[in-house]
Amino acid sequence: MLRTQTLPSYSDAVVSQTTEAAGVGGFTTVLAGNDFRWMAAPALLFAGAMIAFPFGYAVWLALSEVQLGSAPRFIGVGNFRRMLSDAEFWNGLYLTLLLYVVSLSFQLVIGTWLGLLLARFQTARGLVRTVMVSPFMLPPVVVGMMAIVILDPSFGIANWLLSKLGLPPALWLSNPDTVMFTIAALDTWQWTPFVALIVMGGYLSLPHDVFESAEMDGAHGWTRFRYVTLPLLGPTLITAAVLRSVDILRFFDIIYLTTQGGPGFSSTTLNILAYRRGFEFFELGYASAIMVTLSAIVFGSVLMFARLRRAAAW
Amino acid sequence: MVKRRLLRMADATQLVVVLIVLVLPIAWTFLSAFKPRTEVAAIPPRLFFTPTLDNFIELFSRNDFLHNTLNSLIVAGGSTLLGLVLGVPAAFAIAWHRMSWPATATLFARMAPGTLFLLPWLMMFSKINLVGGYLVLILTHAVITLPIVIWVLLPYFDALPRELVEAAQIDGARQDQTLRLVVLPIAMPGVVVASILSFVFSWNYFLFALVLSGIETKTAIVASFNFIGEGVTNWGALMAAAVVIALPPLILTLLIQRRLVGGLAAGAVKG
Repeated sequence: MLRTQTLPSYSDAVVSQTTEAAGVGGFTTVLAGNDFRWMAAPALLFAGAMIAFPFGYAVWLALSEVQLGSAPRFIGVGNFRRMLSDAEFWNGLYLTLLLYVVSLSFQLVIGTWLGLLLARFQTARGLVRTVMVSPFMLPPVVVGMMAIVILDPSFGIANWLLSKLGLPPALWLSNPDTVMFTIAALDTWQWTPFVALIVMGGYLSLPHDVFESAEMDGAHGWTRFRYVTLPLLGPTLITAAVLRSVDILRFFDIIYLTTQGGPGFSSTTLNILAYRRGFEFFELGYASAIMVTLSAIVFGSVLMFARLRRAAAW
Repeated sequence: MVKRRLLRMADATQLVVVLIVLVLPIAWTFLSAFKPRTEVAAIPPRLFFTPTLDNFIELFSRNDFLHNTLNSLIVAGGSTLLGLVLGVPAAFAIAWHRMSWPATATLFARMAPGTLFLLPWLMMFSKINLVGGYLVLILTHAVITLPIVIWVLLPYFDALPRELVEAAQIDGARQDQTLRLVVLPIAMPGVVVASILSFVFSWNYFLFALVLSGIETKTAIVASFNFIGEGVTNWGALMAAAVVIALPPLILTLLIQRRLVGGLAAGAVKG
């Protein structure tokens, strides 16, 4: 259908345009033929200038001592050695991994439950989908602004609701012991619907007869979920896990907006620490070393899931 | 039969609870934006009040938020355009020649923390005096939009019948004509999804503009960061700013809901 509509208009246009261009010669012959590789060149140049070069530069900075106003001086692994004896770095690493484990597991578990629920319950799909996509399409900054107002210990509606339920008020983002869990909850609120929609899509694309024969063999409820659904959903869940891992490990906006790493250092994850070292203290070499380390952690987690996926393929 | 209906009731109840949890904070934000200044932080919270536009008037007249919103539009629009100009031909070339490494390279851009690039960018762009201008924001935000464009479009171009392109070539179409007149019309749905996703993610992005924008080019997201420092007294303006920033992505994604999740997950499936 689509093809029959496009072809006539295309050939008309080509006829008129090729006659126009007939006299140009040289350039048009370059543009003829089946080799389209040059079309990737502009994007490649851009990526080289904006991604590859800065990445190399960051690695070089990480290996240098940089003072504002003077040229960077190569010092080898000095910044990394300093990192190993820096309590703030270890604290940041711990908080980054804590957020990672807590956020990711909550999102995968709730997301799987919710995704299967959505797959079973196909009423009012348009409305349900609208509500489901809204949280993760909001700018993280807006989620942070909402959190500041809703979770305010004195004037927020969250503590008012707690008091109505007879529960003691919480300090949410102001308590060093709970701040990371509050932040994990915010990310879970925002991104679990995304995981659920991926799970729903994955589940609905599974072969249906597998479930029917499992039912016939007497697999119901938990047994069916554990031994049939979950293994079949493996690749889907790993896809969701990769996407969420990358974002959670790099988590920045909401923390910077709500706590800026506080109270004290209780929410200074590696990304926040690197940012503050780089842009508030101008320790460019040391900040780069932390960022390079964080990047290595992100790539490591993606590689880990890539291996898992090969193992989970069916 | 009764059991099945009970199960369905249980499903419905769970789903309603989830939807309420998701909607309530957003609804509360929108509600607060229309409250009189004195009632935004009132305890107990007021559900019924006389709605007012005072917060928005404060936002747009006493602050330069309109200018900031326009900046956001320029940056998000510009970087989406740049992402399309670079990404559409690249995605087609990648799909046509079944290249694998460019896709991996752009995936790398999607995975690396933004802070990693920020220091080198700051040093590069201050050397050529671009920091604080629109161009630096458009260029850096294109690092977000370009991978989105390429990854969203690849499946569309992969599905394109090769004979179609070859027929155009035989008819004497130049390569750019083939792309513009044959390939693009068919891949248009993909281009729409890619454009909207690019725009939304560029609009939503905070970190690059936080460091690289100037007073004149401050985006709405960075500007609203200033309201937070003013504390409870300015919650009304804060919530109004949140509404202004949140509306474009919410409205735009309504248009592509069906393809949204697939678009966002693109790349992770094969990569």
